[in-house]
Amino acid sequence: MVDMLPMTPEFGEYLRDESRSVGTADSISFPRTEDEIRSVLRSLHGVSGADGKPVAITVQGARTGLAAGAVPSGGHVMNLSRATAYLGLSRDEDGTYLLRVQPGVILSELRRHLARHTVPTDGWDRASLDALEELYAGPEQFFPTDPTETSACVGGMAACNASGARSYAYGPMRPHVRALRVALADGDVVALRRGEVRARARRLTLATESGRTLELDLPTYTMPCTKNASGYFVEDDMDAIDLFIGSDGTLGIICELELALMPTPAVSWGVNCFFASESDAIDFTCAVRPVLSDACAIEYFDADALNILRRQRERSTAFSALPAMDDAWSCCVYVELACSSREQALAELARLGDIARDCGGSNAATWVGRTDIDRETQRFFRHAVPESVNMLIDERRRTDPTITKLGSDMSVPDERLRDVMALYRADLAAAGLESAAWGHIGNNHLHVNVLPRNTADYAAGKRLFEKWARAVTDMGGAVSAEHGVGKLKRSFLAVMYGEQHICEMASLKRQLDPYLQLGQGNLFELETCERGA
Amino acid sequence: MSGLMVDRELCIGCGRCVKACASAGIELVGERPNRFARPTDSCVFCGSCVDACPVDAISIEKDERADAAELASYAGIWVFAQVDDEGRVLPVAFELLGRARELAAERGCRVSAVLGEGAEAPSANEELLIAAGADEVLVCRDERLAHRDAEVFARWICDLARPRKPEAILYGATAFGRELAPGVAVRLQTGLTADCTVLAMDPETGLLQQTRPAFGGNLMATIVCPAHRPQMATVRPGVFAAPEFDSTRMGTVSEVSLDDSVVPRVRVLGYETADAGASIADAERLLVVGRGIGSKKNLPLMRELADALGAKLGCTRPLVESGWLEYPHQVGQTGVSVAPKLLVSLGVSGAIQHLAGIGGAQTVIAVNDDPDAPIFGAAHYKVVGDCIEVAEALLETLHS
Amino acid sequence: MRIVVCVKAVPSTTEVKMDPVTNTIVRDGRQAVVNPFDATALELALRIKDERAAAGEHVDVTVLSMGIPDTERLLRDCIARGADDGLLLSDRAFAGADTLATAYALTCGIESMGAPVDLVICGKMAVDGDTAQIGPELAGALDVPCIAGVERLVELCGKVLSAERATDAGREFVEVELPAVITVAKDAAQLRMPSIAGVLAAEDAPVAVRTAADVKADPTRTGLAGSPTQVVRSFVPERAHEAVPVEGTAAEQAAALATLIEEACR
Repeated sequence: MVDMLPMTPEFGEYLRDESRSVGTADSISFPRTEDEIRSVLRSLHGVSGADGKPVAITVQGARTGLAAGAVPSGGHVMNLSRATAYLGLSRDEDGTYLLRVQPGVILSELRRHLARHTVPTDGWDRASLDALEELYAGPEQFFPTDPTETSACVGGMAACNASGARSYAYGPMRPHVRALRVALADGDVVALRRGEVRARARRLTLATESGRTLELDLPTYTMPCTKNASGYFVEDDMDAIDLFIGSDGTLGIICELELALMPTPAVSWGVNCFFASESDAIDFTCAVRPVLSDACAIEYFDADALNILRRQRERSTAFSALPAMDDAWSCCVYVELACSSREQALAELARLGDIARDCGGSNAATWVGRTDIDRETQRFFRHAVPESVNMLIDERRRTDPTITKLGSDMSVPDERLRDVMALYRADLAAAGLESAAWGHIGNNHLHVNVLPRNTADYAAGKRLFEKWARAVTDMGGAVSAEHGVGKLKRSFLAVMYGEQHICEMASLKRQLDPYLQLGQGNLFELETCERGA
Repeated sequence: MSGLMVDRELCIGCGRCVKACASAGIELVGERPNRFARPTDSCVFCGSCVDACPVDAISIEKDERADAAELASYAGIWVFAQVDDEGRVLPVAFELLGRARELAAERGCRVSAVLGEGAEAPSANEELLIAAGADEVLVCRDERLAHRDAEVFARWICDLARPRKPEAILYGATAFGRELAPGVAVRLQTGLTADCTVLAMDPETGLLQQTRPAFGGNLMATIVCPAHRPQMATVRPGVFAAPEFDSTRMGTVSEVSLDDSVVPRVRVLGYETADAGASIADAERLLVVGRGIGSKKNLPLMRELADALGAKLGCTRPLVESGWLEYPHQVGQTGVSVAPKLLVSLGVSGAIQHLAGIGGAQTVIAVNDDPDAPIFGAAHYKVVGDCIEVAEALLETLHS
Repeated sequence: MRIVVCVKAVPSTTEVKMDPVTNTIVRDGRQAVVNPFDATALELALRIKDERAAAGEHVDVTVLSMGIPDTERLLRDCIARGADDGLLLSDRAFAGADTLATAYALTCGIESMGAPVDLVICGKMAVDGDTAQIGPELAGALDVPCIAGVERLVELCGKVLSAERATDAGREFVEVELPAVITVAKDAAQLRMPSIAGVLAAEDAPVAVRTAADVKADPTRTGLAGSPTQVVRSFVPERAHEAVPVEGTAAEQAAALATLIEEACR
């Protein structure tokens, strides 16, 4: 039996995540296996805490989430960062490699092991070892989902249906998860393999390994046709596995994942294109999308973001490796090309240069990253933006601890990109707020960050976000496109789907987790769940 | 014949050489059991296949018509005695003299120290060099040698070596030594091995075996210089122990000159000595503290320990975020990457981002009360225990 | 004015993997890259070119390498970033060269260029060899002065170049009259990225590939034949992968640590 440790101050870091909000808890465990996860669940199932209510169980991965999904609200913390085993490898009939791992496996480690051929094989059977030998002998394989924070773990990535820059081409985590083993609140397990269990319209029948059959009524809302990580994934005749991907730790605990790998593109180049104005950059994005068949990411950095980088580069040695930017460059669109040959990449590059010129840029005001070092510089550039903004906010928090970063995560359909950008700009200007915006412009999905200088700014920013949540919903968009809803974006979810649909979600949860113990406060408040019953 | 040779009698056609080759310089031909390896035109003579061969079938041959009599006319080991700005001989020169003394005993030859100083330098260094193991000191006091100009020194040493014919010349792998030695090598048209960590005398051939790290220390290579003299190597400071000084040792001092035609071509406009307040990036010793030290109250203890260790203080990201220490102290991916000789890590759990910044540390000692903390995966020594307790005990030990 | 930048193709990683079965070194077939120190050298050359261009003077930057034919790809990448042309010395006769034979071949390459070369910039060392010998040997062979280990190029005023470099004692500010060789520390500058325009133009840019005979090199002084040194053995140093536990009471642990600390710092 895994230890249930009292929540002493040394475990303080497990009360928070990258959202920088802090929770409370009474105990913590670090299970390493499915059996240990299940035994913790069984020992807590329906057990009441000091307050007489069932003990809340918050599952954590690498705590890199930005929506406080891993921040506990009392009770028990189940941290899966030590469930890091690689369990086996197989190939499906199409030859796709399927890697079975535990949820605590860190993305950067997974990538490193694949690239360096060092996947740990402790306890693997012959078939898995043979498949691995085949994998090493063949073209390099990779796992395509690339959230900015590569120290995220795959369990967490599945739990919030993580995305990243390359989701432009490869979609979010969802399509790359082939199978899951999920422990329910009572410790029973459902094994889900894509294509095996489907709903009939909005009714889903699930069989657990102990032989129980669960009849679930799925919520009735229609999801937006945009990048989306807001609330449960539901649609008519859906695959059962999709219900658990992106469920924010509220329906069950992912004990094991089977990830579909892909062959690494032969040529992968990054191109930063600089423009004198945001409207040029938007024109460029709209012009590039239909033409460039090999773009796997289209990202944007606005003038404020670039200015923050310029300042950081001057001020801090850690950022001095950022390349110098011409003062005439106001904003940047980053395009990543994944091509099957060098010739093809050169042709795409020429096309990109022409479009940049047509949109007011030039093929000289560009950076082309072809070598590992240049690609690393570009990666550093992209990641330095959120990093710098976090540092700025941390600095301000020292004088005013009530301030936190306010980052939006909303997406809209392609045809509404110009509208939503105009809305952001007009509202930010009217409110007189400092901001910086960057993100996945290819998916019409920007992270607009308000940088509050004081409590009033913070409140004004929050009001703006609520307004945008309504506006984006009206445009047919999603209030959380990739970070998940967690605890921080519950109110947006309510705006997006309305109270009736939230109650349906809560009632679905109750069917799987009758004491409402798992992921309390994620997606909706406990009271909503109780009402939903 | 010279080049990569495969002994077809010995070769078993296993193909390990092909796997080891990075440049497609060797291939397998024929069918089993008559399969064998054959070099291709892409071979760059890197020697990877030689090491990979399990049956010693591969070798790199060089037909060098070394003139035995000519080689035999070279004798003695020279040590270049670099002095600092105050005129003191650097410790590495003494370390080299100590090792040269041992090698000379095996070889049955003399050890000479080569000392170049400014015209006004005091004459105490000769005695020290003899006490450290030199049989002879070749000294030149000339204003052109007052400043360390590699070209001037190189031309001077070449002029000395041509008639005197030393068998080997050793230099400290200091910044200056590593600039000077190649200047000598190219002028004497001989071999030079940089940055050696092991020197040995081959008892059969009498060749100096020079072992050095390559690929950032991930690979060691042993190098010889069979047909050219002098054999030359630079050696990292601190590799060899300093010898006992024996003031009763006898030795000769020979005053030598510097040719009038040698004129410095690099003008020194100014210089400054290194400041002690350099950043943690350059620190030789580093104490890194993490959230496991418990509270900000414990920071003074950590500062005291850092002082006792002669170390600079670094920390993890959460400490900077909590405002305990300033950003320049942050070690890790988003902070400073460090490469100290010694890194003592206290109460650091070892997040991936942190570990990414300490990969260059030579020795890592980690203290944490969690036996499964990832920091231990990056550590050479680990203490599972309360880091405050350990810090206090260590401080006491260091003070006593 | 003409500047030659010497570049070496090195493996993209200096990590050495061991084959656990045969206990030999596995060199994976990863593509070679420009030695990072040489990348810095190129950036310094390009900055001089930019500065002089602003003053109306054309500076010709040639990248020079000795290597296998594939190295042309790297020279083209240097051109994409702003170099004017490239010269690749590629010949069986150059294979197996140590630093002395390499410096000789590069000297032949420079002398074959015809036009006088004012400045040769090399990286201080290559990451796969760490010898730091090519620059000073090249200076000796060309009989020009050398500033090794430049950390900051202060200015190039007419034919006088001034620079700052690290010495054993601290830092030094020096100047030298061209022609000269300088070698540069990795952090002296960061090589710029190429633009789309640069990448496309470099596809058709001139890169000359020359043999030993083309540059009139003496065959006894190139490659394996011209190399005085010989590698007789290479091996992976042993390294503890498992952290060694230090046990006992706090006092005993402290005593053991003190010893370890002393050893580590020696």
